[in-house]
Amino acid sequence: MSDSVTGKAPPEAHPHHTDLGFWRTYVFSTDHKTIAKQYLAIGLFWAIVGGLLAYLMRWQLAYPETAVPGFGWVPEPHMVDGIIPPEFYNMLITMHGTVMVFFVAMPILLGAFGNFLIPLMIGAQDMAFPRLNMLSVWVLAFSSVVLLVSFFVPGGAAASGWTAYAPLSAKAVYTGVDWGQNLWIIALALEFASFLMGGVNFLTTAINMRAPGLSLFRLPLMVWMELTAAVLFLLSVGPLIAGAVMLLLDRLAGTSFFLPEGGGHPLLWQHLFWFFGHPEVYVIMLPGMGAALEILPVFSRKPIFGYRPIVYSTIAAGILSFVVWAHHMFPSGLDPRLAMPFSFTTILISIPFAIIVFAMIATLWGGSIRFPTPMLYALGTLAVFIVGGLTGIFNGSAPADIYIHDTYFVVSHFHYTLFSAVFFGGFAGIYYWFPKMFGRMMNETLGKIHFWLTFIFFNAVFFPMFFLGAGGMMRRIYNPLQYEFLQSLQPLNVFITYAAIVLFLGQLPFVVNFFWSLWAGKKAEQNPWEANTLEWTTPSPPPHGNFEAIPVVYRGPYEYSLPEVSEDWLPQDRPVEPRPVPAG
Amino acid sequence: MAGERGHPNYVAVWFWLVGLMVTSVAISQLPFSKSATDVVIFAIAGVKAVLVALNFMHLRFERLLIYSLAIVPLLLFFILTAVLFPDIASH
Amino acid sequence: MSQTHAIETQTETLSGAAIPSGRLGVWWFLASEIVLFGGLIGTFILFRHGNPEWVAAAEHLSLAIGTVNTLVLLTSSLTIVLAFAAVDKGDSRRMRTWLFLTILLGLVFLSIKAFEWSTEIGAGFIPSTGGFWSFYYAMTGLHALHVMAGIVINTILFISAVLDRLKPHEYRIELAGLYWHFVDIVWIFLFPLLYLA
Repeated sequence: MSDSVTGKAPPEAHPHHTDLGFWRTYVFSTDHKTIAKQYLAIGLFWAIVGGLLAYLMRWQLAYPETAVPGFGWVPEPHMVDGIIPPEFYNMLITMHGTVMVFFVAMPILLGAFGNFLIPLMIGAQDMAFPRLNMLSVWVLAFSSVVLLVSFFVPGGAAASGWTAYAPLSAKAVYTGVDWGQNLWIIALALEFASFLMGGVNFLTTAINMRAPGLSLFRLPLMVWMELTAAVLFLLSVGPLIAGAVMLLLDRLAGTSFFLPEGGGHPLLWQHLFWFFGHPEVYVIMLPGMGAALEILPVFSRKPIFGYRPIVYSTIAAGILSFVVWAHHMFPSGLDPRLAMPFSFTTILISIPFAIIVFAMIATLWGGSIRFPTPMLYALGTLAVFIVGGLTGIFNGSAPADIYIHDTYFVVSHFHYTLFSAVFFGGFAGIYYWFPKMFGRMMNETLGKIHFWLTFIFFNAVFFPMFFLGAGGMMRRIYNPLQYEFLQSLQPLNVFITYAAIVLFLGQLPFVVNFFWSLWAGKKAEQNPWEANTLEWTTPSPPPHGNFEAIPVVYRGPYEYSLPEVSEDWLPQDRPVEPRPVPAG
Repeated sequence: MAGERGHPNYVAVWFWLVGLMVTSVAISQLPFSKSATDVVIFAIAGVKAVLVALNFMHLRFERLLIYSLAIVPLLLFFILTAVLFPDIASH
Repeated sequence: MSQTHAIETQTETLSGAAIPSGRLGVWWFLASEIVLFGGLIGTFILFRHGNPEWVAAAEHLSLAIGTVNTLVLLTSSLTIVLAFAAVDKGDSRRMRTWLFLTILLGLVFLSIKAFEWSTEIGAGFIPSTGGFWSFYYAMTGLHALHVMAGIVINTILFISAVLDRLKPHEYRIELAGLYWHFVDIVWIFLFPLLYLA
């Protein structure tokens, strides 16, 4: 088969490039696997920052205007003797959301998983555009630097919410934040550019470079998810970039795109933001589900139930995701005639996700289930998503949403769905593919401790939040005790804070496990999980060029426990004729 | 790789583009009603864009996938503009 | 042969009639650019509809300059596609000539735009002067940035061709052309939106 770009035959797998030197091998690499690890490193770094920001927020909510343990060193005017002033709190809620969505979820689920898995799962030697790939991770690294710098400029980092609603975000005097917000806009613009480049790479690679026999309906579901996510991102981010240009001009050039006193429309920002923002949450959700969908069949030793319905549901959800955005805006003052159509589309979009949830459950049904750490996390993805998805239905119905919009109810809803994808799906993927990525096994005991701490304390933090929200506690408020009607709910806030501290500390077993296993973990075999997809036919870790010879694919990815084959798994590239089933 | 596609008469297309541009400038200067003029000049712009896309970008020789990459984003543009109309286009 | 599980055994090659990767990649990128400019232009259309008095501000734009610039960009689209046609015919010398003309015309466009902006700013029309001017500078500014990027790409290809290093990658002229035509199409809509309507 010929290389579709130049028409020539593909080169054989490259010999080990040990002569490239340190910089070309580890820093300026065009190998998709190295780039994936760089994305993972960026995402894990920011995850710690995001978690610390949450700790600060939670302390303020539990014990308003008291000194936060461990943070007495932060200088004025940011914090005062360890106490968080209101302006700093606004920065915390803003940057926690920004960091988690754009610098943790996207780099890990798309940058790391997408880059590592797509070429391997389709039997390709690398991405279609390896140098563009390298550029994309370096643009993200640069974007990270810009965001980090924004913490240290006068006025501090952005403080108008991760959604940066105008006019609060459009005039420096409203938040007291000047260059922090400008740098936030620039950092996001760079982040968008990085993932646009990545998206182009994912789609072109998967369309053009699949191994012979790998038709679209034999693709692993993880690849379908990454591709759908790439399409969603590509087609939705444009209007927000336009909006970001307008916001920057409002802040720096005296324009009034969003400022009402100059003839602008604050609501315009919300529309432009959420037109992107809603598809964006599915960009994050789908790869997390994809990881779970890969793992469930492997550890049930059963084919996935409903492969095609899952694919069609994913595509349907993707299409619908473009016409639900105003459900984030029901009480915003938007034209009331939009409320019913958007409620309708939002309820509709729950259908394809329900199908996927049922398919996951049906996959488990009757399976021969084992519970190594990746499986626990995959099950966690499913369980947590059910709560998140069900609570989404309340939010999606305009009449109900009027009461719970901008309360802790919706905060809990989106943390359930986001954790499902990023935490549980992300960790499922990390534990599952770590052996392939790094050539070592992770420690099972530490993994299980990590899972149970995360699962129990995640629910301890976020389940009570539904009651906080239904009880009337609004989002983003600095001091709940200021409001008489919230004072009786304060014990919940205190409980949540302590649960959050344990949740944060509960990540330590993972950190220890990750670094210890990198150097001292048991060496991994080629296919420790006895799975069917193509990445498990390569060494752990795969060399440059991945495959000695491009594999030929004979079947789909989930042929487990076939009666005709002696093992309970059958790789996609094994050309075995099935044993005849004995008659009678 | 590019040989299997044809080459339209690029210079002829250019003449059409220039002619259409001159026409739309002329129409905009004539004393017709504003809304009628607007419809015509944007229709002409649409025709010019289609001419460039089909001929200079060789879209007429491309497969369905490429066509959709041009059409679907346009659809989204129409949806976004239409939905925002009640909120943003009023004053 | 007795009953066997329906394990398919297709082995046909998939990339037989594929769209070359470079072209596919550029079209995916252009799709994202369509929603980018679409968002900005759509927003302008909405504001313009709600502010009919903006037609007075638009009077201050020079129709003559706008028309000349449109002609320049249209012609540069012709020259770059002729460069691509020359590649197909194997005529590298012609390709370099047409590519050079494209770069030249792009620079002419930017120069005229810069001159236009300076006269308008000199007359006191800056982005904060009013809504129309905010959009005018935002849209033509974003467009000009894209033109600049296109000129850089075309120049890199031209230098590569002059140094005789472009031969194995000549298909890139088509890819640069796709981007350049897109930038032209955006202007095809900006022109009537700003100068004619």
